[in-house]
Amino acid sequence: MKRDADSTAGLWPLSVAGLAAFFGIWWLAAGLHLAPPQFLPMPQEVLRTFAGLLHEPFAGYTLGQHLWSSFLRFAMGFLLAAAIGVPLGLLMGWFEWLDRIVTPLFECVRYVAPIAWVPFAALWFGTGIGGPVLIIFAGAFPACVVNAYRGAKYVEPRLVEAAQTLGASSLRIVAQVLLPAALPSIVAGLRVSAGLGWMSLIGAELIVASSGIGYMLVKGQSNIDTAIVMSGMIAIGLVGVAIDVLLRRAESRLMRYRHPSHS
Amino acid sequence: MSNIVFESVSRVFRRDGRDFPTLDGISLEIADKEFVAVVGPSGCGKTTCMRMVAGLEFPSSGEVRVAGQPVRKPSAERAVVFQQFALFPWKSVWDNIDFGLRVKSLPASRRREIIEHYIGLMNLKGYESAYPHQLSGGMQQRVAIARAYALDPQVLLMDEPFGALDAQTRVVMQEELVKLARINPRTVMFITHAVDESVYLADRVVIMTSRPGRVKEIVDVKPTREREGWDKYPKIEDVMDLPSFTNLRTHIWRSLREEHGHVEKRA
Amino acid sequence: MARFRPARLAAGACTLAGVLLLWYASTSLTGWIGPARFPEPVEVWDALRQITVAGYADGRLDQHVLHSCALVLMGFAAATAVGVPLGLWMGHSRRAEAFFNPIFMLIRPIPPLAWIPLAIVWLGLEDASKVMVIWFAAFVPSVINSYVGVRSIERPVLEAAAMLEVRGARFVREVVVPGALPHVFTGLRLSLQASWTTLVAAELIGALFGLGHVLTQGSLDIYPAMILVAMMAVALCGGLMTAALTWLEQASMPWRFKA
Repeated sequence: MKRDADSTAGLWPLSVAGLAAFFGIWWLAAGLHLAPPQFLPMPQEVLRTFAGLLHEPFAGYTLGQHLWSSFLRFAMGFLLAAAIGVPLGLLMGWFEWLDRIVTPLFECVRYVAPIAWVPFAALWFGTGIGGPVLIIFAGAFPACVVNAYRGAKYVEPRLVEAAQTLGASSLRIVAQVLLPAALPSIVAGLRVSAGLGWMSLIGAELIVASSGIGYMLVKGQSNIDTAIVMSGMIAIGLVGVAIDVLLRRAESRLMRYRHPSHS
Repeated sequence: MSNIVFESVSRVFRRDGRDFPTLDGISLEIADKEFVAVVGPSGCGKTTCMRMVAGLEFPSSGEVRVAGQPVRKPSAERAVVFQQFALFPWKSVWDNIDFGLRVKSLPASRRREIIEHYIGLMNLKGYESAYPHQLSGGMQQRVAIARAYALDPQVLLMDEPFGALDAQTRVVMQEELVKLARINPRTVMFITHAVDESVYLADRVVIMTSRPGRVKEIVDVKPTREREGWDKYPKIEDVMDLPSFTNLRTHIWRSLREEHGHVEKRA
Repeated sequence: MARFRPARLAAGACTLAGVLLLWYASTSLTGWIGPARFPEPVEVWDALRQITVAGYADGRLDQHVLHSCALVLMGFAAATAVGVPLGLWMGHSRRAEAFFNPIFMLIRPIPPLAWIPLAIVWLGLEDASKVMVIWFAAFVPSVINSYVGVRSIERPVLEAAAMLEVRGARFVREVVVPGALPHVFTGLRLSLQASWTTLVAAELIGALFGLGHVLTQGSLDIYPAMILVAMMAVALCGGLMTAALTWLEQASMPWRFKA
């Protein structure tokens, strides 16, 4: 059984068929009332609700406002994680002694799911913005550190040697050799941690928030309004994709000026 | 009768809407049990020729036949030794050689016979349960050759099998292959860019032009080899010292150099 | 990141000891960090004793742990039982990939936690909703990594298999699966991590039992020591399960781990 021919170009009808099957089954199940309409709304109902949320407030704000509220928290937590995590990771990669001190701590805390910080967050920050930010930070921080660390540690030694033989000072070496060499890893780490941060945000907002997309989901759930919940999920997915696409684009634009490094 | 016939074979690659002709009207016949080496500059399509006999690629026009039948798909009758060894990393040496034999549904006792025979021939004794990653490049290629021979194929296809090995290992492998080829003659198509290797191993050497590849010249080695008694010398360096050898080698070199000139001009 | 060489372990132990000292000093000794913010080491020990012996939040620690572990394993097993074969199939067959990929692309961007409200609407606050959410969390990584695993099988190896005329079930069993196995295990590890994260979150949001419930109760009771105990239990369980998985990985791929 050979692998099918390598081009997917002619296979788009199958893709269409797949989507059609998915929505078709949904539509049928909803239409046949296999579950009460409150639990299983028709696909078009969900779309209608989604569109409605764009200008009619639910649980205090419109969809756009909820998203903005969430995004601000996300941005704060993510930027904080990057601002602390990337330098820390770089320093750990460059200085063995720092690595030895920090790594055991890091490995212990790393596996605590970000969400498990929620009780402490509630205890320390109440319902203030600090809570979600802490959780986003917990989600985004490890990836920033690890990737910066890898970028710093696994620099081609020959690059550094070459710079040294050319008589560059230490500062120069850092700025013009080590940093650029670590850059691809750092940027990849930022992309991964952004995704993780966004996911942690949602979790946080499900528990400790009075606005934001996660809060909207919770309210929809307590009203048993599946259409709202699904609309919220769609919005979360769309924003998540948007963040990822934007960061990927930034990544490739940044990388265009570097030659592809060895794997 | 396992001969290989290329009949006006051409191969054109399409990429980004442009045509890149790789092979242009190759007509060639490799007789039953003949060992033919194909040499040529990089990109001349010699590997593509072999892959067409293997059934891994297909001509854009013309036909490739083995034993009179056009080649439609890969088969154990046209066994391949790849440059990258292509052993299954998760199988031991024994299982790697055994795999193809099991597909042929040979009885267990017969399989054991065959595998033990080739493990002995290829100096793999003691390594039966080793995994590929534990072996050196040379050892891995020995396993690959054993695997191919064990299938008792009509035709053996070797794609620069020693290209990934270091110089010393390469020489040892060439000596072993010559011994094996003389004990166990079969139709072989051997792709290489090492001229020494081609003259040492082959009955005939096919020289190809640069891209798009055509057959430039075919050099008969066997008559010279038999007349001068190269097989009397077990060590490769003794053979390569002989004037009859160096004459042939130089001739092929010169022919190839003209083609390299063409490649450089185009680049 | 860290390799467990003796020197490093010693350095790690020193750091941890240092942290413990700092912890003790800043809480019990000086009261610099107040009890409502972070518990003292003694308090944590007391909380641990309480939950193991007398119980807390309607159960003893071992009961909570067992309950949470059972849910994780259920969701994880169900998700990977579907996800791994699907990923392998999509990796091997371009047709399967074309068919399933769009649907998968719809599901993938939705964070596992975002399924919680929907799960609660559909299945209530009991175990079933937790398992559903865990399923979605574990499903995505296992599909992706199995897919990548198949695609990662080197071309010459596949051509050798074609040359040997290996087909059908034998091809799947002896080429596709072993070839993809390293990546499949990576996927399993990621799925397991995701399962734990999601379980804790789901239990935090609404549960009647389990480690997440302990966390919530500790929150409500303003009992930071218990919160810490629960967090440590979560980390420990997750770590142990991952270790078991790693052991399984090494046992099933002898060709990768022999020297």
